[in-house]
Amino acid sequence: MFITDIRKEFYDVVVNQRVALLVSSEIDALCACKILQALFHCDQVQYTLVPVTGWQDLGTAFLEHKEQFRCFVLINCGANVDLLETLQPEEDSIFFICDTHRPVDVVNVYNDTQVKLMIKQDDDLGVPSYDDIFRDEEEEGGNDSGNESDGGSEPSGKRRRYDEGEVERRIERQRATREWEARRREILFDYEQYEYHGTSAAMVIFELAWVLTKDTKDMLWWAIIGLTDQLVHDKITHMKYVTDIATLQRHVSRHNHRNEDEDNSLSIDCMRISFEYDLRLALYQHWSLFESICNSSYTSCNFKLWSMHGQKKLQEFLADMGLPLKQVKQKFNSMDMSVKENLREVIEESSNKYGMKDIRIQTFGVHFGFKNHFLASDVVHATAALLESTEKDDSPGDNFIKALDCLSRSNLERLHGGIDLAKKKLMAIQQTVASCICTNLILSQGPFLYCYLLEGTPDVKLFSKPMALTLLCKYLLKAFVRSTRNKRCKLLPLIIAAPMDVEKRTVIVLGIPPESETSDKKNFFGRAFEKAAESTSSRTLHDHFDTSIIELKMEDRTKFLDALITLLS
Amino acid sequence: MSAGNENGVRMDKFKNKGKDANELRRRRVEVNVELRKAKKDDQIFKRRNVNTLVDEATSPLHEKSQNCQAPRQWSVEEILAGVNSNNLDVQLNATQAARKLLSRERHPPIDHIISAGLIPKLVAFLGLESPPIQFEAAWALTNIASGTSDQTSAVVEGGAIPAFIRLVISPHPHISEQAVWALGNIAGDGSVYRDQVIKHGAVAPLLSLLAVPELSLFSSGYLRNITWTVSNLCRNKHPSPPLAAVQQIIPTLVRLLHHDDKEVLADTCWALSYLTDGPNDRIEMVVVQTGLISRLVQLLGSGEISVVTPSLRVIGNMVTGTDEQTQAVLNAGALSMFPGLLRHHKSNIQKEASWTLSNITAGRDSQIQDIINAGLVPLMVDVLRKGDYKTQKEAVWAITNFTSGGTVEQVVYLVQANVLEPLLNLLSTKDSKTILVILDAITNIFLAGDKIGEADKLCMMIEECGGLDKIEALQSHENELVYKASLSLIEKYFSGEEEEDQCVAPELTTDGYAFQISENQSTFNF
Repeated sequence: MFITDIRKEFYDVVVNQRVALLVSSEIDALCACKILQALFHCDQVQYTLVPVTGWQDLGTAFLEHKEQFRCFVLINCGANVDLLETLQPEEDSIFFICDTHRPVDVVNVYNDTQVKLMIKQDDDLGVPSYDDIFRDEEEEGGNDSGNESDGGSEPSGKRRRYDEGEVERRIERQRATREWEARRREILFDYEQYEYHGTSAAMVIFELAWVLTKDTKDMLWWAIIGLTDQLVHDKITHMKYVTDIATLQRHVSRHNHRNEDEDNSLSIDCMRISFEYDLRLALYQHWSLFESICNSSYTSCNFKLWSMHGQKKLQEFLADMGLPLKQVKQKFNSMDMSVKENLREVIEESSNKYGMKDIRIQTFGVHFGFKNHFLASDVVHATAALLESTEKDDSPGDNFIKALDCLSRSNLERLHGGIDLAKKKLMAIQQTVASCICTNLILSQGPFLYCYLLEGTPDVKLFSKPMALTLLCKYLLKAFVRSTRNKRCKLLPLIIAAPMDVEKRTVIVLGIPPESETSDKKNFFGRAFEKAAESTSSRTLHDHFDTSIIELKMEDRTKFLDALITLLS
Repeated sequence: MSAGNENGVRMDKFKNKGKDANELRRRRVEVNVELRKAKKDDQIFKRRNVNTLVDEATSPLHEKSQNCQAPRQWSVEEILAGVNSNNLDVQLNATQAARKLLSRERHPPIDHIISAGLIPKLVAFLGLESPPIQFEAAWALTNIASGTSDQTSAVVEGGAIPAFIRLVISPHPHISEQAVWALGNIAGDGSVYRDQVIKHGAVAPLLSLLAVPELSLFSSGYLRNITWTVSNLCRNKHPSPPLAAVQQIIPTLVRLLHHDDKEVLADTCWALSYLTDGPNDRIEMVVVQTGLISRLVQLLGSGEISVVTPSLRVIGNMVTGTDEQTQAVLNAGALSMFPGLLRHHKSNIQKEASWTLSNITAGRDSQIQDIINAGLVPLMVDVLRKGDYKTQKEAVWAITNFTSGGTVEQVVYLVQANVLEPLLNLLSTKDSKTILVILDAITNIFLAGDKIGEADKLCMMIEECGGLDKIEALQSHENELVYKASLSLIEKYFSGEEEEDQCVAPELTTDGYAFQISENQSTFNF
């Protein structure tokens, strides 16, 4: 069921309990987790934090903790499958789910006792009404006309005679039931066809903190990062982003206003969040402007930097801005103050000339003291890089803790480390995009585009991770749409596959919807993957919380793809 | 029940005949039948529960189709008052109301009606000279008798049996049909009431209904009801139905077997399966009927699952009988239907077919030869490899019986058909009785191998398909018989390094291909 009063129905319940906090490995979930941890800290709630990377993980975590815990809080996992069916919990286990995955499984929606969904009702959920999808068991079973249905079993020893009308009614009822079932299938098909994401978990939890009047600037910042994660990883529509930004901006003004009457001076450990209309250049304040332009998807695609022509255009662009190359290529921090002063305006002006009208975007920045300034997207990139670090001795658990740590302002060291990793990752992505485009690795399969990263491709290990591969896939599709002349191909979705586990000989497969300004970001690949796997009995693992990300045996790749093509044609 | 127990019963049921193989022939195990019945009772029970729906009176569908009739439901008390009135019309209305209550799908108030003492009244109405009230009362009593044993008892104790038998030959077909139905419910309760129905003389009037030149003149429902009731008169054991009645019924069953309604056919076949599920003299009564077996064989190939299942059961029961009875089945060409049955999409059919074959391979070697000639051995090996577990178990019996009663030549053929690997694979089962049966088969195969001096090759084949490892592992089996049997196999055929060395000698590996069926080498070479 949906929780209507998050304070009464969630917080007041768990505040007196020991809580198992199961958190999915992604940035928004981490941020929600940080806020919740802070609240639990305030009220001295005992909790155990368990990172989970997929359904199997979630199942194991539940098994390990079901003895000691009654309350389970699931962040960004659990909403989109029948949780009780999956976990088979005892009747006294209660699950509080704060998850952006849509559609929410209907059983979760209509379970009133064990599944509590912390999901904002103003999200466009479109859940089918109860009567359309559920009927009392008894009614449903009434149509098995006993022995006759199963030919070949021994006749019954005794038989009752029903009214004539009874028989007719039974037939009528069977017909009605069949119709109802057909309609139910249709409704569920429509409802479950597309996968998409709802309001950021961090924002939902932040609102809880606000309702409890326990919200702090740190919490607000985490909520901002949660939302920005949805933008960076392209999970929500632009409209949704702008709306949610507005919500958060009101909170930011409130907090800033509150601080005004205190002393105005910035101290070294003071935190200040500001709404900014900043550049769509990744990490530029921690990089050189030049490198940021080269490694940001927006600029790279617009210039087509993978081509000689594009490189030339970039040079022209820089010249147009009148910025000396020396300045542009040195560390942003060390640029002349005079250059920096109206840098954004200069860049925007030239960008407009070069067809990049959307170079600026509404976002937030944070100042920690005087020295440290970060844009929300910087933190998202850094945290993602830490979370999916492929350094040798890092276990997923370590990575989770490191990523969580870098969100604390006492841990700027780690954040800077993350930023360095993120730079490497962005460069790897850009290089891979360039080589895929230049060597025509993106093939049109008819109903979709397909790209397979061969084993041995540089940085291929990085792309065995879901978030990195998602980012690559999005950037790749944007670049492809810019580079191809085939109009039909511009409208196609993209499937990318990359080696995942060399020993087990599996690949990670991921599909994204077509690229367009007005895209609703709804993804139909989840269902399609399931169906294709089923019809070819391919050995697949649908373990990721996003159904559009699966693991597949390398040998089964061809038949799986063939089935997908047939299915979607 | 434990597997051991089941198999104990199974061992007792072996048909008695001259040689060892006799022990391997098995009667259909009683417990299985009992289980089936229990399951069936479950089904009925379930069916009643499941059929419940929104109260009929409040169902909108009900309103739609029924609003022309009086929608008001009587209470049991009102009915009681009604039947006790002196006015026939009131009695009729009350009886009809009772019938309606008992005919609704949801929770018919059977016990309530019984405890209100309505049964004697209803039985009395059966004897009135008013067809409408006879009909309503018969229907109501039918539905009461359709319930639990206690509820059926209440009807019998009310003296309903003779009253119904009188109505069987009522000039009104609908009343006759209802009486037949009611008697079917009573006889279907078990052997006690079945024999009471027979003792009261139900058989003759029932059969007389069918003594018409053309069965197809009946409405299909009527004929189905009579057939079903007759089948209930043949049903249940301990004791089996009286011989005289059976003798009386069989000719009619033979006639029904040539009718073309599939439900009539199904019930007729079930009736025959009950009659053949017993000692050899009972089987004999059915086997001797002219044309019956060949008709059954025809039905085996009808593709209609509701008919194939019981006709296969009859055939299966027949071959549990004597060699002569088995031969009668073979003479009718039954084996030609088995390729389809062994590959049937329903695993239950595969299982029953394998069970039937296991009893044929327990017969004469000429009968085993018939199975070989019908091309069934490769299919049996297939079933052994891919069938569901119950089917595999039956196939194991078929193989073991084959190796025990077959000639050396026949056993060689079996090995050439690659039986060893799937057979040995099943040694990993948990059921120790099945393991013993498999070890028996292996021993028998070795005996044949010894006779032609090919035991070493057998050793190699068994080792190659991983069978030796399995047999070795069985030496630590908890069941002592398994341990002993595997130990004796190992000691006899697999000990001694020299022998193993011979096994891997190159010249032997070169003609290792001789094991394949395709090779048309001397028959006495594996």
